[in-house]
Amino acid sequence: MEPNSRTTYSGRTRERKTKPAVLLANRVAASVITVGGISTVLAVTLVCVFLVSVAIPIFFPSKISGPELYRNETSLADEDIPLKRMMVNEYQTMSVSVTRSGELIVSHLRDGANILRRTLFGERVPNDLRFVGDVFVGGFSDGTIQTGELTFNTEYVQPEEVPSDIRAALDEGSVIFRKGVLERTRENQFRLQIVSVDINEPAELEPGASIERVDISMKLASPVIAAVSSSGTLHIKEISSRYNMMTGQTIVELFGGSFSIPSGKDKLPQFVRLAGLGDNVFLAWTDGQLIRIDARRADNMAVMEEVNLLAHDQGEITLIEFLVGKTSLVVGDDQGNVSVWFRVKPENAQTVDGAKLIRAHELEPIPGKVSAFSASGLSRQIAVADDRGTIHLYYITNRRTLGRLTESTLAGTVYGVTLSPKDDGLFAWGPNGYHKWDLDIPHPEINLQQVFGKVWYEGYNGPEHVWQSSSGTDDFEPKYGLIPLIFGTIKATIYSLLFGVPLAILAALYTSEIMHPSLRAKVKPTIEMMASLPSVVLGFLAALVIAPAVEDHVPALLATLVTIPFALLLGAHLWQLLSHDLATKLKHFRIPAMLLSLWVGLKLAGGLGAWMEHYFFLEDIKLWLSTREGSGTGGWMILLMPLSGIFVIYANGRWITPLLKRRFATASRMHYVCVDLIRFMISTLLAFLLAWLVSSLLVVAGLDPRGSYIDTYVQRNALIVGFIMGFAIIPIIYTLCEDALGAVPESLRSASLGAGATPWQTATRIIIPTAASGFFSAVMIGFGRAVGETMIVLMAAGNTALMEWNMFNGFRTLSANIAVELPEAVKDSTHYRMLYLAALTLFVMTFVLNSLAETVRQRFRKRAFEL
Amino acid sequence: MMDSPEIPPSSTTPPARRRVSSPTSSVISRAEPALWFTGGAMVLCMVMILTLLGFVFYNGARTFWPVPIVEVTLHDGTKHMGEVTRRSVFIPSEERLEGIPDASRKMVEDAEGLANRKLIRTGNFRLTGEHFNWVADFETAPDGVAEPEWAVLLERLTWGRFYGFPVSFKIGDEIVAEGPQATWTQFNNYHEEVRKRWHRRKALEKKDIGKINHAMEKLRLNVREVELAEGKDSEAYQQAAAAIVEPMDVLQTKYDTLVKEIQALDQENDRFVMTLRTASGQEADIKVADVVRAYPANRLGLGEKVSIYLSRWAEFLTDEPREANSEGGVWPAIFGTVMMTLIMALLVSPIGVLSALYLREYAKAGPLVSTVRIAINNLAGVPSIVFGVFGLGFFCYILGGSIDEVFFAEKLPAPTYGTGGILWAALTLALLTLPVVIVATEEALAAVPNSMREGSYACGASKWQTIKRIVLPRAMPGVMTGMILAMARGAGEVAPLMLVGAVKLAPELPFDSFAPFFHLERSFMHLGFHIYDLGFQSQNSEAAKPMVYTTTFLLITIIFLLNILGIGIRARLKNKFKGSAV
Repeated sequence: MEPNSRTTYSGRTRERKTKPAVLLANRVAASVITVGGISTVLAVTLVCVFLVSVAIPIFFPSKISGPELYRNETSLADEDIPLKRMMVNEYQTMSVSVTRSGELIVSHLRDGANILRRTLFGERVPNDLRFVGDVFVGGFSDGTIQTGELTFNTEYVQPEEVPSDIRAALDEGSVIFRKGVLERTRENQFRLQIVSVDINEPAELEPGASIERVDISMKLASPVIAAVSSSGTLHIKEISSRYNMMTGQTIVELFGGSFSIPSGKDKLPQFVRLAGLGDNVFLAWTDGQLIRIDARRADNMAVMEEVNLLAHDQGEITLIEFLVGKTSLVVGDDQGNVSVWFRVKPENAQTVDGAKLIRAHELEPIPGKVSAFSASGLSRQIAVADDRGTIHLYYITNRRTLGRLTESTLAGTVYGVTLSPKDDGLFAWGPNGYHKWDLDIPHPEINLQQVFGKVWYEGYNGPEHVWQSSSGTDDFEPKYGLIPLIFGTIKATIYSLLFGVPLAILAALYTSEIMHPSLRAKVKPTIEMMASLPSVVLGFLAALVIAPAVEDHVPALLATLVTIPFALLLGAHLWQLLSHDLATKLKHFRIPAMLLSLWVGLKLAGGLGAWMEHYFFLEDIKLWLSTREGSGTGGWMILLMPLSGIFVIYANGRWITPLLKRRFATASRMHYVCVDLIRFMISTLLAFLLAWLVSSLLVVAGLDPRGSYIDTYVQRNALIVGFIMGFAIIPIIYTLCEDALGAVPESLRSASLGAGATPWQTATRIIIPTAASGFFSAVMIGFGRAVGETMIVLMAAGNTALMEWNMFNGFRTLSANIAVELPEAVKDSTHYRMLYLAALTLFVMTFVLNSLAETVRQRFRKRAFEL
Repeated sequence: MMDSPEIPPSSTTPPARRRVSSPTSSVISRAEPALWFTGGAMVLCMVMILTLLGFVFYNGARTFWPVPIVEVTLHDGTKHMGEVTRRSVFIPSEERLEGIPDASRKMVEDAEGLANRKLIRTGNFRLTGEHFNWVADFETAPDGVAEPEWAVLLERLTWGRFYGFPVSFKIGDEIVAEGPQATWTQFNNYHEEVRKRWHRRKALEKKDIGKINHAMEKLRLNVREVELAEGKDSEAYQQAAAAIVEPMDVLQTKYDTLVKEIQALDQENDRFVMTLRTASGQEADIKVADVVRAYPANRLGLGEKVSIYLSRWAEFLTDEPREANSEGGVWPAIFGTVMMTLIMALLVSPIGVLSALYLREYAKAGPLVSTVRIAINNLAGVPSIVFGVFGLGFFCYILGGSIDEVFFAEKLPAPTYGTGGILWAALTLALLTLPVVIVATEEALAAVPNSMREGSYACGASKWQTIKRIVLPRAMPGVMTGMILAMARGAGEVAPLMLVGAVKLAPELPFDSFAPFFHLERSFMHLGFHIYDLGFQSQNSEAAKPMVYTTTFLLITIIFLLNILGIGIRARLKNKFKGSAV
């Protein structure tokens, strides 16, 4: 082994072995940096993983466990099956059932024991009994009706009032106590739930007749009842009760009208259903006949329409019930078909009130005859049971079958089913007792079809893409369709790319290939610096400065699309008139001259705008847009002018210029330049005429542009967003294009110029083809920027989730939607997760665009390197 | 790719060359129109950029300049007095032209139905219910526009601006001055003194009472903590509850004395009242204490105007906002922006540098590293709002929620860290700007010539020594550039901040005199969010507009300065490497 050190000629001892500290530092640094680096990269992937982990649970399948059986062997008479009403309390400790004959049975949902059994109306047995929520009404043979309320009441019992044996039993779970159910809460309080029944005084409806069918609905505060008597009369009455202080009695008064059920029906209707707010009454027979009666004015009721509820004209209707909100009807028949009906307002409705009852949803059929039913009080979720012991759990709007439960012991004898108040449990009562299923379906309303497909919401004329996450009313159904938001995002992006991309690419081409390098050194950083301009500033300017200013100058703004290119070309043709020497001397004035022609273009736009407004737009373009008056020629011109301009330029380059080149091959420069100017003027005129001609033809063919890409003007619109967001993405596209042009090897450029090509020829034939993929990736990255931009669209796009291409109205993008709604969304709610899904969609969109751009760019770099 | 069919195959003898230099084809190949087209695009971009910047800078710089107060008399004798905010041209409706003298009507007719109008900021909201009035030229009486000498503008703490003529000055019940000149002199005599008292009162209210409240809250939380740990029935709880009674009383007494002191100051201040008369002749008593700034606009010399202009800027930069943010200053927003950006820079730079070092110096080049690079480039393109969504869900709800459960259980259910705050905002933006730092650092590391590394290794230095002493110092300017650019990006981002902690009005700064001094859980104000909020959520958006312009001006200035700094460093770095051997 060599000695660790030896004397050198300098006399210093030289360490030949590395100090341990250095080695240690080296190793520590290596591990810290490796671990740090890798974990950063992992942390970055966390973003995506986290978004997915929050968004994905909305698509999880439903989890249903059970059943658990609480034995209860109460037997019911056949005519009492199914129950008129079955409900359980919030804590799922007690159930309340009401039979057709008005018997109330309260059971404890732990041991199945009955707590209470009594009749609702004393000795009186109703002919019909109906519930809406907690409120009920019964109709009697003596021509009276009687209303009441059945609720769960909660009270807290003082600890000292609870006997010790019950205290001990409470450790196991709930206990029957004072005709109710006692529980110990987590805060160590004693919570007693009891059923309370309030019955109002009977009210006479039709003396001498028997009330056969009844229904009740709540109109604001006071209930409205519908009743059919044995005489074939339909009564609609609003009930007002007054409490008399003197006598201590409640006086019930009825206001309303009556209506004779049209003759031709041999029997009384089996079903009477009163819509929410009492505006419509549906009378239905088991053979599927339904008549809809307008009851908005009780003294003037009329039949609106007759509908056949049966799908194939066979079988008979066994169930007609309302969903929450009392607008949609669920119809079931003995074949097991379940369908949902609601009123829509189509344009061609034949009815007097313009509404039409239609079958909107057909749900998965249930094997047996539809009998018991329960609708959730929170959502469009229902449970339907048949006579063979099958229970289906549906979500109406997306027609999802959330669960198919079969229990043989329930066959033929399902007394009733009910969803628990929080939709987290399903109860079915049969001869063996209560069956309980635990439901874990946090997002029943969401499936892929709902998010990305058209959905038929209640009251809509047909399936549509809708995003509407909140509203003022309670029974509002949130509508989570992402398509309108994606549409808005794409609309914003397209309009801004249309404006930004050409400008950015042309400007990059000019700075890189034609401009003097010293000037380029000033222009490039200026444009680059704009990339860091906060978008909130641009959004503020767009919405509060530009939008109001543009509003008064719409035609002029549209005219700039034509006049600015025209003015520039005119300037170029005039510049050509300068002799070669003069042009060389004045070359520093070329850019100011361009500036001047821009100014001329703006001035021309003012004139052309006023002229167009006068001739095409009835003097006021906003009025012209919002009405359908006047001809559509001007509208087509807006679209066709740029197109015909492009066509004419193309035609010139393709056919006219080569022709002139041959024709004037020997002409003097001045001569040709003048010819060129004339050619340009004629071309311009031709372009205009062409646009006008095609527009007129389109109008003659009966096409009006209004309603498509142009329509009613809104102050904050796609045009404004396109302009300002285009402006926002110019710097990034410009920089990347400029870099791509700069990456083209100098040798190519020099060779081309050396071979006698002009800078323009070099640029178009050598440089652009080489840099084209760089341009592509620049545009893709610009695209990605525009897709994710938030503040500008939030401030300047008006934020209404519309699906129209109209460039004069607003939209709502994914990003703006997140910014507006996420702060208010409750954590882990459907809304919250949907917004995460929106964010994920945004993430995926930009990810795809960026990956595309990145791959192309890598390839481009490699090729540029090889050249 | 350069398929040029015209080039003849080289094996055959080339045909005689034809010189094609006819003037026509020379003109065509120069393609002047095409050049103008591209050049026009460039010029248009520059014009738009410069117009936009010019517009913002002009409006931002102009807002605080005192303008004359005009008094406009209409045909019916109505008077509007205030500052002219802007002018526009409009088409008056027929009804508005009724009852107008013929001369004025003819004026409109001559202009083809168009008329000029000006927006006058008339203030006096409490008397008129309006902040602004449009006055059309045809409505104005002949010679109806005047600039009265003694028109005074008052900027007040509440109720916005007041425009009027000084009438008298009262101290207590005694009128000490009458007439504009004397009143104005008296006002100037006492204003400073009154304002001093007002500042003293504010300091008492904010600092001293704040301290007491803080101490009380702390005592209460102590008890709550014991309650959570031991239960409400326990002895420890009873003891803790009993133990705070005495200190609470002491604090309460202190509190009461302070309140009395404040009341005394208020009473003293309330004695000073200036009576003003508005243009329409109504009189109003205005407490001197409520007046922030007052000046007779039409009597000002240039020097006074400059001093008012500067004092407004000083207030803007150092004071707190008032009147729903539409007046006063933006100090909390500046502070919030700067602090958030600094925390972000502190978080992002070590992590970014570490990752870049790993990618460039340690990781072995291969598909993995290139995938990671693509991922990082991709991250740079992910919309900022997505980071906001991530920040809200992950940082605020999950991380913050867990911190709350472990350390701040006594404050629950009110969240401490479990909601938006400056730390979470900084973390979110750090993630957002991470690619900027990584890419810049990587570039800087790559720019260090390999020969230098090899030289270092040849001298026997270890890898870490090489990195520490040779590579990093040379790459430092590049790293700095990346950091500064990241800060510029972070300072201007608003969308994610809306989700993770920026608020319209933060009651407290995230830094104060109570331990632990930095309160990273607090929500904060941000200049960018301030712009959004003022422009879009404010009730009186016309009055807020000047404030929006100045805030925009300030934000753009900060960001451009950061950018120029970054670009400057980059340029220096490039120069430095030009000379070095590669």
